[in-house]
Order: sequence, then C-alpha cells, then structure tokens
Amino acid sequence: MLSRVANLVYWMARYLERAENTARIVDVNAQLVLDLQSRQAADDPKSWEPLVYVTGDEEKFFELYGKTVTERAVIEFMLFDKRNPSSLISCIAFARENARCIRDQLSSEVWETLNTFYLKLKSDDFSRYAQLGSADYLSRVKTQIQLLFGVAESMIPRTDLWWFFQLGRHLERADNTSRILDVKYYMLLPDLHAVGSALDMVQWASVLRSCSAFEAFRRSRRGQLNLERVVDYLVRDDVFPRSILFSVSEGEQALAHITAGADHLEETEPARLLRSLRAELEMIDVPSVIADGLHEFLDDIQIKLSDIHAAIQATFVDYDTASAKVLA
Amino acid sequence: MADLFANYEHGKFYDEMFAAPGKARPHYRRLYERFSLMESMAELMDRQRTADQTFINRGVTFTVYSDNAGTEKIFPFDLLPRIIPSHEWAHLERGLIQRMQALNLFLADIYGPQRIITEGIVPLEMVETSKNFRKELVGCKIARDLYVHINGSDMIRDESGVYSVLEDNLRTPSGVSYVLENRQVMKRVFPNMLRDYRVRPVENYTNDLLNLLIHLAPAHVPEPIVVLLTPGVFNSAYFEHSFLARQMGIEIVEGGDLVVENDKVYMRRTDGLAPVHVIYRRIDDDFLDPTVFRKDSLLGVPGLFEAYRKGNVALCNPIGTGVADDKAMYYYVPKMIKFYLGQDPILPNVETYLSGNDGELDYILANLPKLVVKSVNEAGGYGMLVGPHSTQTQIEEFRAKIIAHPRNFIAQPTIGLSRCPSVIEGGTIEGRHIDFRPYILNGETIKIMPGGLTRVALRKGSLVVNSSQGGGSKDTWVLNDDITNPPVPVPEKIIV
Repeated sequence: MLSRVANLVYWMARYLERAENTARIVDVNAQLVLDLQSRQAADDPKSWEPLVYVTGDEEKFFELYGKTVTERAVIEFMLFDKRNPSSLISCIAFARENARCIRDQLSSEVWETLNTFYLKLKSDDFSRYAQLGSADYLSRVKTQIQLLFGVAESMIPRTDLWWFFQLGRHLERADNTSRILDVKYYMLLPDLHAVGSALDMVQWASVLRSCSAFEAFRRSRRGQLNLERVVDYLVRDDVFPRSILFSVSEGEQALAHITAGADHLEETEPARLLRSLRAELEMIDVPSVIADGLHEFLDDIQIKLSDIHAAIQATFVDYDTASAKVLA
Repeated sequence: MADLFANYEHGKFYDEMFAAPGKARPHYRRLYERFSLMESMAELMDRQRTADQTFINRGVTFTVYSDNAGTEKIFPFDLLPRIIPSHEWAHLERGLIQRMQALNLFLADIYGPQRIITEGIVPLEMVETSKNFRKELVGCKIARDLYVHINGSDMIRDESGVYSVLEDNLRTPSGVSYVLENRQVMKRVFPNMLRDYRVRPVENYTNDLLNLLIHLAPAHVPEPIVVLLTPGVFNSAYFEHSFLARQMGIEIVEGGDLVVENDKVYMRRTDGLAPVHVIYRRIDDDFLDPTVFRKDSLLGVPGLFEAYRKGNVALCNPIGTGVADDKAMYYYVPKMIKFYLGQDPILPNVETYLSGNDGELDYILANLPKLVVKSVNEAGGYGMLVGPHSTQTQIEEFRAKIIAHPRNFIAQPTIGLSRCPSVIEGGTIEGRHIDFRPYILNGETIKIMPGGLTRVALRKGSLVVNSSQGGGSKDTWVLNDDITNPPVPVPEKIIV
C-alpha cells in the first residue's frame, strides 16, 4: 500500500488508542483521589500532579496553567485543551483528520462514527465533565472510542490497511499501559510504608479497574492484591489484551502480516526490535525489576517502543528513495 | 390529480420541454403525462427529498473551503431531467468530434511546426502571451500523437434553440462524477420512466476513460500502472477524484507519494518503489513540477516534467493543452476547423469579440451594457461582467481594466440560455436557465459519453450555472430513438 496511507492509518489508530488511555489515566487518578479518604487530600495539588508528569508534557502544562496543579487545570489540559497535542480532544481531532484523508478506503461507518464523536466532544468542557461526574463522563468517552474500534474491526478488510491500524494501536497501548502503571508509582513514592495496607489494596484495585483488568486479574491470579502481582499481570500476562507483553506480541503479528509475501522485507529492523522486546518481557524477574526501580524499567520500555516506532517509520514510510527497493 | 405544470410560465426563452404554453415537445410528452399522474406537488417534493437524501448517504458532496469543520454540501440536484432526442444528439456528436479533431491538430501544430502561425491564421503574439502556452514542450513528441485526451466543452442553446459552444475545457474538466451519480439516483427515483424512454446509459464512461489511460502508456510496458494524481483531500473536487479512482480501480495519489528516479516515476509504497506509467492528473500544469513550473508548488513531483518529456510516463491531459482553451484562443477554433480539416464548423461558437483586436475593442467599449465580458484566464464564473445585470460603476471598473489589458478580455453578446422546468424549493415548477457539458475522450478513437452534465442556475433569473454561485445539476437523458407516440405511462413506486 502507499506509504502515506499506511502512515495515516497507523497514526489514526495510535491517536484513538491514546485518547482512550488518556481517559483511563484520568479515570484511575480520579478514583485514587476519591480513595484518599480525607477531603483535604482530594484538593491537594499532589493528588493531580503525577498525571502531568506521566504524560511527559509537564513543560507545556506549566507554561499554560502556571505552577499550581489543580484538578480543574489537569482535567482541562488532558481532556479539552486543543493546545495540548496529547489531550483527548486533540487526539480525536487528529484521528478524524487522518480518517478524512483515507475516508474512501475505510468504510463510511468508521468515518461517520468518528466524525459524530468528534463533533459532540468539541462542545464539551470542564463544566460538562463536572456536571456528569468523572466516572460517568469518562465511561461515556471510553464507550465511544470502543464503539469506534468495534466498527473498525467489523468493517475494515484484512489488508495492510488493517495491519497498520493494528500495529499502531498495539504499540500505543503498550506505551500507555506502562504510563498507567507509572501513575501508581508516582502516587506511591512519598508513602512507601503504606505498601500492603488496606488503602494500598484499594489503590491497586483502581489501577486494575482503569485497565478493565480487575476481574480478569482476580480470575487468573488468586490471592493477595499487591504491587508485585499487579505489575506482573499488567506487564507480562500473555492472555490479558492490555498487558504490555500481549500488546507487543500483537504488534509483532501485525507486522508479520505486513511483511509476509515480500522477500526483501523478511528481516526488518522493526521486526528485530519487537522480537527482542518481547523476549525481554518474557524473561524479566518482577521482584528485581521493582527493587531496581519500576519507574526506570517502565521508562526503558517506553524508549524501546519509541525506537520501534522510529524503525517502522524508516522502513515503511520515510525511507530513502535512492536506496529503496524498486519493485518490478 | 393535479396538473403540476398548470401555472408554468413559459417565458421568452427557448424552453426545453414546451414548444408553446401547455404544449410539450414530442420527446417530453411521456414525462409530461407521467407527471400528470402524480397526486400532487407534495408527491414530487417527496421524491425530491428522497433524491437529496440519497446523495447525502452516498457521500456525493463537495467540501466548502471556508469552514474548518469541513462542511460538506451536496451539489443541488433537480429531479426534472433534460432530454435530448437522438437526432439532436447525433448532430452534437458530429460537431464535438470535429471540434476535438481540430483542437488536437492545433495543439500538435503549436508544439510542432506552427503552420497555423506562419500561414497567418493565428497571430504569434496570441500564442506567446497565453499563460498556458508551455514553450518548453515545443518540438517534444507526445505519446500516440494525442495532444489532448479529455475535453469538457461547455455548450448552450440560444433563444431559438441553436446549440453552440461557449468554451472548451482542455485541462482538467470536472463534474463527470455528478453525471454518473445523478443517473444512479434517477434509476432509484424513476426506474420505469428511464426504461420506457430507452435512455442511453452513461456508465461506460469510467471504463472508456481507463482504456484511454492504458492506451497512453509507454509502448514497451505490458501491464501499465495508472494512477490518479489529486491535490489532496482539501480540494473541492476531491470527491470526484476518489470516485473516479475507485470506479477505475486505480490508486489515488498525492504529489508526495510520487518520486522520480533516473527520469522514471515511482510511487512510494510500504514495500518499496512501484513504477507508474500513466498519470491521470487533476492538478494544473503550474503545480505539476516545482523544478520547471511554479517553484512554490507543494502539490507536484520534482522531476516529473523530465520523465514526461522522455516519454517514460504519460500525463492525461498532456501538459500545455491550456493554450487551446484560453478564452481568447476560443475565438480561433472555427478558423482551426477550417484550416486543419477544410470543413465548416458543425457547432458554432458564440459570437465573440476580442478586445485585443483594434476594431473589436471599440465595439466592446461602446456596447458594455449589452455584453458579457470575461477575463481570459478565470474560471468558475469569476472575473466576469454581465452587462445587462451590472451597475454603471461595475461597468466603468471593467472599462478601465479592458483598456489597461486588452489581451485579457473577450466579450460576447448576452445570450438568453434555454430554460428547463425545475423543481423549486417552495414547491413549484419554474423554468430555470441551463447549460450543458459533454465529455469527449480522445484515445484510440474519439468517444463521447451519451449524456453529460446539465447545470442549472437555480436562482430565479440567473444565468450563472456554476456550483460556487448557486448552480445545481440535472440528469441528462440522451434517447436511443426518437419517441413520437408514447404508450400510456404506468404509475411507478419509489424504490430506494
């Protein structure tokens, strides 16, 4: 397929997945804050600050909203502010722009669902969010995005168009699950003695719920809800669809579909990088990862995912024309 | 039952449907009777709404630039068809073929020996000052000697019903997707009438176009790859580009998708560079190659011109055809027909005055309130003065412009375009002015789609049919044979 079209559909999927995870990250934090019991804690800037760091956009945030991190500022920044390129509305707007360029190759249902969602979201703001309450508002958003994925899944033919969609979606999901885990890490930092306490259990439960993983976790890992077990589950469970390992494997399979049938693409850089990341995830020892620093570990995964992204771009999209394979 | 045409105002123009008030022309009688069977105007309005909704559902839209929400509008569609009886069509066809032959010979001559200039028929200056003359191509051999492949001539009928050519569109004429979609919608709304009338099908157009494109490929290529080059999704005609690409099963590409290596054109695919042999381009010459034409063009492909000149890729239409559809060059087309074919034109031009010709400049300046003055290089109904509908100030503004740049203008008498009954929003049927754009393909043979785009000026009294200025369209029915004794019409159901 055309490189430009592949890139558009790949990014469209990334933006949609990112939008969904932005909603999830805000959701997990809103729930954590509610669980912090004291009313004072809920208003505490520290309750919302982690989100700003986790997105990696803190400079932009402080530039736009100043140094005081309030709930309202964070919600506006992460959901409704078009000046933040990773906000929910920005992601949906970008996804829509991309979909528009390849509208005739997607089905009209995919376009219409996305367009309708965008037009509705455009008129939302903080007061609408506050009026519905975070849980209700965010669950509506998540449902809308999942509707889109559902429509795409049942409508897009399984050509390269679909596999680039899958590739983008799963790479983004792997990255985002690592960031959701990171939120918890930030929350834990000042308060390590609380590990294993009742409050801690509640917090882990909410992290799992934000990945829709709570019940699945309960079924597959009996026993205590603790840091080690939750990290193990979200990082490398091989059947849970939002775990990092699972997402990386899905990406690897999508790539295999893309390169199948072209001899000169048999062993590409993205395939090599994906394979080595999957192998690493399969081999890790969770207790020592936590001992060495979960944040550093997650950071490293994010860097590797970004290398894979760069390799995909260089192999399929921005390759050098002069040295490119000329097809018969 | 109600006679939907009871209050129809005939007017002083040529009416496509009625020879006289209440007296339908033979080829419209069946439609007239069919409509008398309708319960009321409300039934007709229901069908109009059905048709409009079908266009929205099928995504037959054009994008309105000014709105960043990307508002998409449908090109208004009028249910009442324009019917062309077969003897009229045969005449149009002969005339359009003759015109296409002459224009092709003219372009071959202009980019070759330039006999028409040396023999004093067309002034050298007229060619050299044309914005669309590409001197880089003089002496360059073009694939299969086809110097122009697609013409969408604009035609009109005057007060006495005579067809004449108003202008040629030899660069990237648009609108054919509406012709094809209009017919699809009519098939749903009036299936029986289409069958009873034995309307000639237009559906072969995309197939004929694809055959033409393949015919243009460099001779040594066994299975040529054809692509459609679009300026992109924000172009107002993008719907048409993607529609035609889909119908022909070819890739739709943007400039950035194409690269030139060793004077050969490739498209960038995820698995490497795939060769491209024929480009159906919907981008003007100016934007095709920033290394030769406009340096600031981001839409084009650096190196494309050289690949084209070497014959490694074919372009449809070829580069440089615009010199022949320049509004001033139009004046010379009847002379070209005489010069190259030794024939009299079958289809006349509209009487035209060139402000560049001394005697004619004086006439134009003396008669501005009666004339239509057109800027030579503008399209879409812009840069135009309609004398009878203009204020004194507007006329004086144009006078100054004409005196400053006589080569830039032509003038024509104001023609009362023919009218065709049309469904008006408030629920009446009224006469509206129409024109006609047939599509002529010049490949192995010259083929003309039996039909075309009938544009209608939906604003009362307006003579401007452009979609940007309140125009709509009608389905155009070219009949297989002329019907004089229509059988009793049967009522039909809406099938949607």
